[in-house]
Amino acid sequence: MAEDSRGDPACGGMDGRKDPVPSSGGFNFPEYEFPELNTQAFHVAAFGELWRGRLRGEEDLSLKDLPGGREVTDSGCEDAAVARDLGCSLETAAELRAVCGLDKLRCLEEGEDPEVIPENTDLVTLGVRKRLLKHREETLRIDRACRQETFAYEMESHAVGKKPENSADMIEEGELILSHREHKPYQTMLVLGSQKLTELRDSICCVSDLQIGGEFSNTPDQAPENISKDLYKSAFFYFEGTFYNDKRYPECRDLSRTIIEWSESHDRGYGKFQTAKMEDFTFNDLYIKVGFPYLYCHQGDCEHVVVITDIRLVHHDDCLDKTLYPLIIKKHWLWTRKCFVCKMFTARWVTNNDSFAPQDPCFFCDVCFRMLHYDAEGNKLGEFLAYPYVDPGTFN
Amino acid sequence: MGTPSGLKDDCEALLSRFQEMDSVRFEDFAELWRSMKFGTIFCGRMRNLEKNTFTKEALTLAWRYFLPPYTFQIRVGALYLLYGLYNMQLCQPKQKIRVALKDWDEILKFQQDLINAQHFDAAYIFRKLRLDRAFHFTAMPKLLSYRMKKKMQRAEITEEFKDPNDRVLKLITSDVLEEMMNVHDHYQRMKHVISADKSNPEKSLDLIKDDFFDNIKNIVLEHQQWHKDRKKPPLKLKVKGGEEKSERNSQQSERCERAESLAKIKSKAFSVVAQASKSRRHRQVKVDVSDSESGQVQTKTTRKRKNKETLKPAGKKVSSRDRGKQFFLCS
Repeated sequence: MAEDSRGDPACGGMDGRKDPVPSSGGFNFPEYEFPELNTQAFHVAAFGELWRGRLRGEEDLSLKDLPGGREVTDSGCEDAAVARDLGCSLETAAELRAVCGLDKLRCLEEGEDPEVIPENTDLVTLGVRKRLLKHREETLRIDRACRQETFAYEMESHAVGKKPENSADMIEEGELILSHREHKPYQTMLVLGSQKLTELRDSICCVSDLQIGGEFSNTPDQAPENISKDLYKSAFFYFEGTFYNDKRYPECRDLSRTIIEWSESHDRGYGKFQTAKMEDFTFNDLYIKVGFPYLYCHQGDCEHVVVITDIRLVHHDDCLDKTLYPLIIKKHWLWTRKCFVCKMFTARWVTNNDSFAPQDPCFFCDVCFRMLHYDAEGNKLGEFLAYPYVDPGTFN
Repeated sequence: MGTPSGLKDDCEALLSRFQEMDSVRFEDFAELWRSMKFGTIFCGRMRNLEKNTFTKEALTLAWRYFLPPYTFQIRVGALYLLYGLYNMQLCQPKQKIRVALKDWDEILKFQQDLINAQHFDAAYIFRKLRLDRAFHFTAMPKLLSYRMKKKMQRAEITEEFKDPNDRVLKLITSDVLEEMMNVHDHYQRMKHVISADKSNPEKSLDLIKDDFFDNIKNIVLEHQQWHKDRKKPPLKLKVKGGEEKSERNSQQSERCERAESLAKIKSKAFSVVAQASKSRRHRQVKVDVSDSESGQVQTKTTRKRKNKETLKPAGKKVSSRDRGKQFFLCS
């Protein structure tokens, strides 16, 4: 949008690098690669530095609380500061303070309720809103926020302004916050630039991580403790031509090897892919495009599209407790599947080829499952296959 | 989430009324704001989530007008609008204004222009927004999530807020004028040549007014002058406190040469001049001609117009009162 002569868009050809190195300022200036869709690739830390360089010495980056209330501030000092910054006289500064005061913007009289739409308004927005309110009054018996709305608002704001108890957990000034959106399950997370990729990996909740493999109709009490997350620890992120594999545990395998071998076997038109260790990189080290879809893969074949939707500098009103990041701020509300029998509890078992069940597959909560399929001594009745079931709505 | 319906209309109504005021003073904007009761735009029992979304959208919308290619006046109006929206919002904590890295340098340049042109109220307001930490410093202006919308919603630029294209001047350029003059002379000479009486052409050949070309030239020159004057709009400058507005008017009705030359030094292609004056130095006939556009532009702010009748054409005298006005004559 701004017409300026600096900052030509990066060529995007960052292949063949082993260690991401911050390049000159011009290449790390986020610009649209495709308008309104995504930017060209740039280095996160270098971008952060471009901003910090421009704001250094000013109070913009400060995370400290503002000196309590502007009204309390010594006006004399403030006028002097204004006069100095704007190059005007002290008198003018004092006049500015009066002329540009917030009281000049007040449109409501004392005692007027800010929630009530004034009668004789010309604003189109208010006209629309008034009609909507009227419609709600006429059609709804009880007008209040539904669960999903409350849930969404809570998610968005639950950590806002939180300060850590331990000051060592305080985020530093100039830290970057990346907004990371994952699809299926749909959730948006805030992650700090200084955090490792593995921290994000650990906080992504996917139901496939909790699956318990195996058929347990004969031994319902012995459903193993191990969930898939513990058994299959491999995972990778794919960003800009590099696969970042989780190699923290000996059992972790390089899932990306298959893909790399496939792409190298013939000339498929992809550049040379790189691999790297997830635990060695922080978000600050990455080259990424904002708004561009990337991949997170775990459990061998459970893939999630991930998009970095935003990067910005940390602000005083954000959650300042490092330990709370990665922070989920948006989550899709999933309806849980209830037990077919009682319709009250969330299903914990799913059966196939079940002679007792009216449908295949059929879902049961733990109590109903045992009552229906086993006698008092715990013997199996009838023929069926039973698998432990983890509902995606478990994370609500 | 698209822009809430009606919001664009309201913002543009406010900005176009501000544009008509031909002022960049915050006082004028605030008066307009209060008369439209714009602060009530957040009223109406919005629940928390909707409040957040609405406020975010409102700030994003207002921000667009703050950047080029909008005119200087619209950009200052947008700055005031942002100030109003940010401070009158009902969200707790306040929703912030997103500013992308690629726009920041342009913003700082704008701030510097404001300071240089001594529009202290606008500069003060921007400074205050920064001190209040109203900004989020981001990579891109809005969140990008690779949404392939069927119809790409390009931000439409309101044409009225842009610097207008002067089609008239493009049509009648100096080349065209010269050519017309040549043709006209040639035509007159031809008429002389073929007439019986060499000094006076035949009356029957009078198919066109003789002074046709002169008229066109005058009209075009007038238009050019009007355009030039319109580009250096009469923006009122803040004077020292305690000054009555009427006093300011009568002072501005006289222009001294020094102010004129200082104005020329300070003015840029599109930005405004510190010294404000509504007077017209050109021919008296211009003022009397009910040129609808220019008349409208100047007479909208009626309370400033009481001294229009006392305009002195081409005032060369330096009045003592003007000399005392160190404020806008300083270099």
